[in-house]
Amino acid sequence: MAVYKRGYQRYEGPRTGTWDRLMVLPRFSWGQLMSQRLVIAVLIGAAFWPLLCGIFIYIANHIELLAGFGQGFQKFLAVDGSFFKTFMIVQSTFAIGLAAMTGPGLIAPDLTNNALPLYFSRPMSRWEYVLARMIVLAGMLSAITWIPGLLIFGMQVGMAGSDWFSKYWNLGLAVFLGFAMLVILASLVALASSAWVKWRVVAGALVLGFFFVLAGAAQMMNSIFRDSAGSLLNPLYLLGRLWAAMMGIDSPDESEPGLWACASALIGFCALMIVVLERKLRPVEVVK
Amino acid sequence: MVPVLELDNLRVQLGRREILKGLSCRLGVSEGGGRAIGLLGPNGAGKSTLIQTKLGFHAPLSGTAKLFGFDCHRQPKEVRARLGYMPENDSFISNMTAVAFLRMMGELSGMPRGAALEKAHETLFHVGLGEARYRQLGTYSLGMKQMAKLAQAIIHGPELVILDEPTNGLDPAARLRMLTLIHEIKATHKMNVLLCSHLLHDVEETCDEVLILKDGQIVHHANLEEERRSNRRFVELELGGVTTGFAAALGTLGAAGVDEGEGRWRVVLPADIEIGALWRLAAERHLQVRKLTYRRDTLEEIFLKAVGHIRATPGDATKPPPLPPAMPEEVTHGRL
Repeated sequence: MAVYKRGYQRYEGPRTGTWDRLMVLPRFSWGQLMSQRLVIAVLIGAAFWPLLCGIFIYIANHIELLAGFGQGFQKFLAVDGSFFKTFMIVQSTFAIGLAAMTGPGLIAPDLTNNALPLYFSRPMSRWEYVLARMIVLAGMLSAITWIPGLLIFGMQVGMAGSDWFSKYWNLGLAVFLGFAMLVILASLVALASSAWVKWRVVAGALVLGFFFVLAGAAQMMNSIFRDSAGSLLNPLYLLGRLWAAMMGIDSPDESEPGLWACASALIGFCALMIVVLERKLRPVEVVK
Repeated sequence: MVPVLELDNLRVQLGRREILKGLSCRLGVSEGGGRAIGLLGPNGAGKSTLIQTKLGFHAPLSGTAKLFGFDCHRQPKEVRARLGYMPENDSFISNMTAVAFLRMMGELSGMPRGAALEKAHETLFHVGLGEARYRQLGTYSLGMKQMAKLAQAIIHGPELVILDEPTNGLDPAARLRMLTLIHEIKATHKMNVLLCSHLLHDVEETCDEVLILKDGQIVHHANLEEERRSNRRFVELELGGVTTGFAAALGTLGAAGVDEGEGRWRVVLPADIEIGALWRLAAERHLQVRKLTYRRDTLEEIFLKAVGHIRATPGDATKPPPLPPAMPEEVTHGRL
């Protein structure tokens, strides 16, 4: 029978579980994001660098193709920690750009349209809402970070064999964990910006500012105070140091902050974003 | 029998202000659902805070609020799984079509994907938005948005639907449609309804019982079904002349009246007494009838008495409280 002829009947069927309900927001959000051409363009653009890296790995493992080139060039083709760190740095700029583009559209419209009471009057807590929104971003960013990273790592393992793997197995772990750190930080920054300013364009600018303006500010502080403690305010520096340490290629100056300080600063940034989300994401605004 | 709503010495503080001050009551005690409860009170009485506490948005300072036996603060998911909420203000996602919005809300309430889509269409036709269901919500008129909000509150067939000012901003036809829908939700689909409204007539038409709040306290809990059964008629009289003994004369008719001062009387007539009897009584006592207003609704009487705008309902057994000396004139005369 056609719907318009049937009339309303109260729903008394089965109910889905917590996980199914949690994935509702990501499903709808992904659907909306994937209908945007700009998002598709960035996703496609972010696939080029892994593709180039894949070609590089292929060439590096078929050195006979380049028999005419000198010893120096063959050394340049080494697939090691530096190679993967370079891969991660380039790919992380795409990830930050994508987070700045997609993140602000996740929470700001809900706040602008006063939609939070509708979500929170359903069996969904504030933290489940944040988690659902983070899953949206984590899913998008994963597609251009650790997934292609592990694919090229797997490609190298497949071509170079078990000897290479036994020597560099930690690189795979470093790629996964390093990108996981970036994804969590970028998602939290994007969501907090979105919750804080409500205006999508400004929120996007805030995300970029957090990563790039802070880097400049940190550099300026270092120059003014002739110290390197200002680097603790530079999220890209913090991530880079931790990535390098996990890959076994970290060689800081004596004056540079220690690894624990870097990790603590990164955790501090995440905590700050969580505090912003906790303060801003409330179903009703209480005027005290 | 588990009541729909149970409050036990509920106190809620927002900032430094205590908004709800020790509320205790049991509402909606009936079998089989389909009970409508009205929540009334002047601005700032704590109605919205009470609703938000029931939704688990505010933690009580002390006491408990329970819905269907579940603690609203400790078991929010069990509570929220059983209710639908239509907020007073605009609440929607503007860049979604009505169907997508309702489907998402249905799925968030725990409906499987297919059922949510089917019910989204069904509910939108039910509230009269069938033809506009593929339009984006941001393009809807105020009345359509109200209907969309109602639709998202009932799509999952909750046991309790909380409606916060559902007729706000509606034209008379849309208001009538909204009230009809609320009546259907209650009577046909056996959902309980909690209606918060400033419009006494809306509550009178749809609710079975009413809770009146003032300054964060319950000042009255009335069973409107019983009031309707009593079939009393209320008359406001403004008389000129000496009214001494008029109350006793009303008693001979079987009616009861309260002198509000300056010749103003509030009279309750039993079902078998005609209005003409009042005219005759006034003529016999050489009183000038300057104004006679007749109405059947009792809720206004209950509300005005509960919030202290009139002293007593004529014929009530309880003695009317004395008026405070500083009470303004318009309050003394029973006007809002």
